Amino acid sequence: MIRSGPFRRNARCFAGALAAALLLATRLLCAAELFVEISDQDGGPVEDAVVSLTALDGRPALPDPPPSTTKSIDQRNEVFVPFLEIFRPGDRLVFQNNDSTRHHVYSFSEVKSFEFVLAKGESSTPILLDRPGVIAIGCNIHDSMIAYVFVSDAPWVGRSDRRGSVHFDKLPAGTYTIALWHPWQTPGEEGAAQHITIDAAVTSVRAAFSLSLLPDPRQPRDRERSIY
Amino acid sequence: MRPVLFALLLALPLAARAQDIQWHGFLDLRIVDAAAQRSWIAGGTGKLRYGGGGTQGRFGGAALIGTAQLTPALLAYADVQFRNDDGASLELIEAYLRYRPVSLTPWRWSLKAGAFFPPVSLENDAIGWTSPWTLTPSAINSWVGEELRSTGTEFLVERRGAHSSIEARLAAFVGNDPAGEILAARGWSLGDASYGFGGQVREPDVYALEEGVVPPLRYRPFVELDQRLGWYADLTWRSQRHGRYSVMYYDNRADPTERSTYDGHTTFAWRTKFWGLGAQRRLGPIEIIAQAMTGSTLFTPSPSYTGETRFHAGYVLAGWARGEWRPALRLDLFSLRQIPPSEVPLSEHGNAITAALSWRPRPWLRVTGEVVRMESWRRQRILENAVAGRTDTQVQLGARLLF
Ligand SMILES: [Cu+2]
Repeated sequence: MIRSGPFRRNARCFAGALAAALLLATRLLCAAELFVEISDQDGGPVEDAVVSLTALDGRPALPDPPPSTTKSIDQRNEVFVPFLEIFRPGDRLVFQNNDSTRHHVYSFSEVKSFEFVLAKGESSTPILLDRPGVIAIGCNIHDSMIAYVFVSDAPWVGRSDRRGSVHFDKLPAGTYTIALWHPWQTPGEEGAAQHITIDAAVTSVRAAFSLSLLPDPRQPRDRERSIY
Repeated sequence: MRPVLFALLLALPLAARAQDIQWHGFLDLRIVDAAAQRSWIAGGTGKLRYGGGGTQGRFGGAALIGTAQLTPALLAYADVQFRNDDGASLELIEAYLRYRPVSLTPWRWSLKAGAFFPPVSLENDAIGWTSPWTLTPSAINSWVGEELRSTGTEFLVERRGAHSSIEARLAAFVGNDPAGEILAARGWSLGDASYGFGGQVREPDVYALEEGVVPPLRYRPFVELDQRLGWYADLTWRSQRHGRYSVMYYDNRADPTERSTYDGHTTFAWRTKFWGLGAQRRLGPIEIIAQAMTGSTLFTPSPSYTGETRFHAGYVLAGWARGEWRPALRLDLFSLRQIPPSEVPLSEHGNAITAALSWRPRPWLRVTGEVVRMESWRRQRILENAVAGRTDTQVQLGARLLF
């Protein structure tokens, strides 16, 4: 996932185009960018969707796998922040309690199960995420607290922002399979895999998708309903 | 009640060490345009909380709720409320310990011990067992607030899936032997005066006179009379897509021949059983809640007489669930039948329409305007030299301060 700004990207692509003209190796060096826009059944933007790209015909050169990292999910005001985080197999996950109250973070997902009682200010030991898949996370003290971890081995993966948009950079020409996932996506209505071909001649491609989502079960914090 | 207090006392040393003690509550003030007929709370046969006509300021109630997470698995909860409808009264609405260890499988169990509401209401999920939609709960849940409380143990097992879960509850309890008496003596009502331990429910004065008692006749609804355990079971399915659906059965297993004398009056045990059905569903921004209840209560005051009352009620509520303004509309239907009918039958039927608009301009403030219009027909009123059938309207404008 590359999140560099469009200006940097354009400059880089411009430099790449110059090089391509000189070396006649346009296809390998001038990579395209892809914008994936995701909306829900009412046309609103969908945040926290996971977009995975895989090469369909094996032609696009795969990016180097990024080095393993450790990312943390915080607890603030009885909310997990971020709500959804993407990891690579081999990455590590840490839970950090930045709240004034104790939490009992746990998951019974098949991919990884764990539990940590975290006093305020405490962090969990790092959890090695060795298998791809989805991990649903809860707090056994506060039922309203939920979070998701998506462990992906796809060559390119990204999370949609508040405008429902995911941006991929430096995609080599080729045909890709685009897969979408969202925690509230209606079971059985995931839709068929979509394909997209990125031509050597284009520099920017847009793809729009619609997801049918279940109602968001997260309730905004309310003093009238704060009793757990 | 003693075992509950004892358990809470045992929990105190743990509470002193607990990191997570929270206090919440509310203070409720209202301007009420009361229904014309004298309220049952004042000894009349009116079915609304405020009666006797006139417009005046009223104290709706105050609640203090304490929660303490004693250990990550052990939660202590207590709800104390103050009202002054029928004299000033400080009552313990609920007090329990909940043990719920974390589970690393889809299954999770928990155990609740203390005094708590049976899981009937789908409306009263706000602070202090209030409804976030209206001031006045439905007929079903008004009765639950007045007369149902289980002192005992509830076992809950859940199976949690990605987008749905199933919960099964089974409880055994003592006390609550007089439950059902108010339905027989007064019938259904609509009001948000929830009674607790320390409180006494008042029966209509005409009923007391029929029983040969000089009014006011009050009784404690949660006492134990026959040393028999009651039980309830509940099955609930929650789906992110389809909503929440519940079915429950309740039986206090009271021995209807038992009685005891409290405060100079005889309190009878009433064998009360009912089925409850509930559904809750979100349709876009609109929340729909529906509940139905059917059951019976009976007592045997003498070897030659058993009086039974069969009761039925249901409601549908629709509320707007987005933003600061939350309008809600509810239709209640209720009826009960006395078997065998007495000279002045206590049977009744009726309906109520409740329209409420709640506004939450600040996290600590809820302002609610509400109109309840009730039609009811009850022969008992003839004893008050009134007509059996009548229509009553109660209008309230309330401010609830939340902390
Ligand atoms: Cu928590």
